[in-house]
Amino acid sequence: MSKSEPVLFSIAWNACIQCGVCVAICPQERSFISHFDTIAVDRPCDIACMICEAICPVSAIDHQSIAVSS
Amino acid sequence: MDNYDIVVIGSGPGGATAARYAAMRGMRVLLLDKRQELGAPVQCSGAISRHALVENEVVISDEFIQQPIYGFTIYSENGQSTQIDYRELKPQEYGTGADQRPLGYVVDRRRFDRHLMAMAERSGVDVMLKAEAVDIHRENGHALLRVRHYADELTIRCRVIIGADGLQSQVGKWAGLQTHMKFTELASCLQFVTDGVEADGLLEIITGHQWAPGGYAWVFPKGHGYTEIGLGIICSMSKNNAREHLDHFLKNSFMKERFKNVRILEIQGGGVPLSHPLRTQFADNLILVGDAARQVNPITGGGIHTALTAGRIAGQFLGEHLNNSHDHSAKSMSRYQELWMEKNGKKMWELYGIKVKIFKIRNVEKRDQTLYTTMANYFSPESPFKKI
Repeated sequence: MSKSEPVLFSIAWNACIQCGVCVAICPQERSFISHFDTIAVDRPCDIACMICEAICPVSAIDHQSIAVSS
Repeated sequence: MDNYDIVVIGSGPGGATAARYAAMRGMRVLLLDKRQELGAPVQCSGAISRHALVENEVVISDEFIQQPIYGFTIYSENGQSTQIDYRELKPQEYGTGADQRPLGYVVDRRRFDRHLMAMAERSGVDVMLKAEAVDIHRENGHALLRVRHYADELTIRCRVIIGADGLQSQVGKWAGLQTHMKFTELASCLQFVTDGVEADGLLEIITGHQWAPGGYAWVFPKGHGYTEIGLGIICSMSKNNAREHLDHFLKNSFMKERFKNVRILEIQGGGVPLSHPLRTQFADNLILVGDAARQVNPITGGGIHTALTAGRIAGQFLGEHLNNSHDHSAKSMSRYQELWMEKNGKKMWELYGIKVKIFKIRNVEKRDQTLYTTMANYFSPESPFKKI
């Protein structure tokens, strides 16, 4: 499930039911939250454990891999 | 800069109750919530025992009650059932008669949370909506809280902060407490408020791995002919999300005939921590209550009662402690957790042990059977846990 490359999450805002489960399960030590109580979508996640995607009751979270520049 | 004895972050059942009890003991209390309307978006089915309200001096009002509850029906995966109807078990106590009462209620969380805030405010608490805590730092033994209120920023100085900021709690994280939950212990929940499904005054709980792996499904009467149908799952135990499981339950379970005219009126979801309570629920100038401290019953997933009680304990403790002492250190705050352990914590740890044992069973059939029996025993009049 977990990826080695950082990812940038995106939220299908119409599908999101604002339950906050993705934020609650997020293992990031610093707050990794958007202004709409979802995981952050404005910066890459370097852990990329993907459990926020897996736990979303309505599968509203998607991601794209961010290529690491050498 | 405003000065308070206590600032409570989050006006859910735990926060509002803590604020009320502290104010009743003469504390200057500010109760903040970042939302514009409490309880919304709804993340909860709203079932609570009458005892929980009485014990925590919540005025029982039609304002928030949607449905009186008199008992439970627990189902196995294929529809075998155990009915525990207190109207039949204890007719002298429970029923609709003038000298009888309900066992509990299904409440509207929007109205319930507002009612609790109003009770706090009428006890002398200052309340503030659209007020989001941004960060906390400590200075000369006090806490400085930065708050975004609408588009403005303000700083508030206080002696102790009560973190009642729910499942997504950031306050505990800021204080360096271990608040992280395991993927295997956070239930992903979805429910529909529906029309066209009959239900009477019982909470129906449906166990079974194929409907709700790691949790259970529910059918709760919601008043006015409406019914809540929902479930909570542990995602590590399934390839499907909560929505797909709920769809499967509605279409294929032994209740499908009953659901054939179901119409969905509201969609609600939330996360329920089925973990043990936080091992440390306090820090310098800080106490955590409710979901923020993972004070949720790990068998039922119920968190309103536990939050109300923790709020009362926190409010009473701080009301007394701060009247007699200027010590706001973690060491002095630890007394809150001791009081809470004595009242609720020990039993919650015990329930956590029971839950862990059930989900350690590898054989699905055996695990389902154990969960069904455990739930049926849990709600029986002989249960040692019925007041949690």
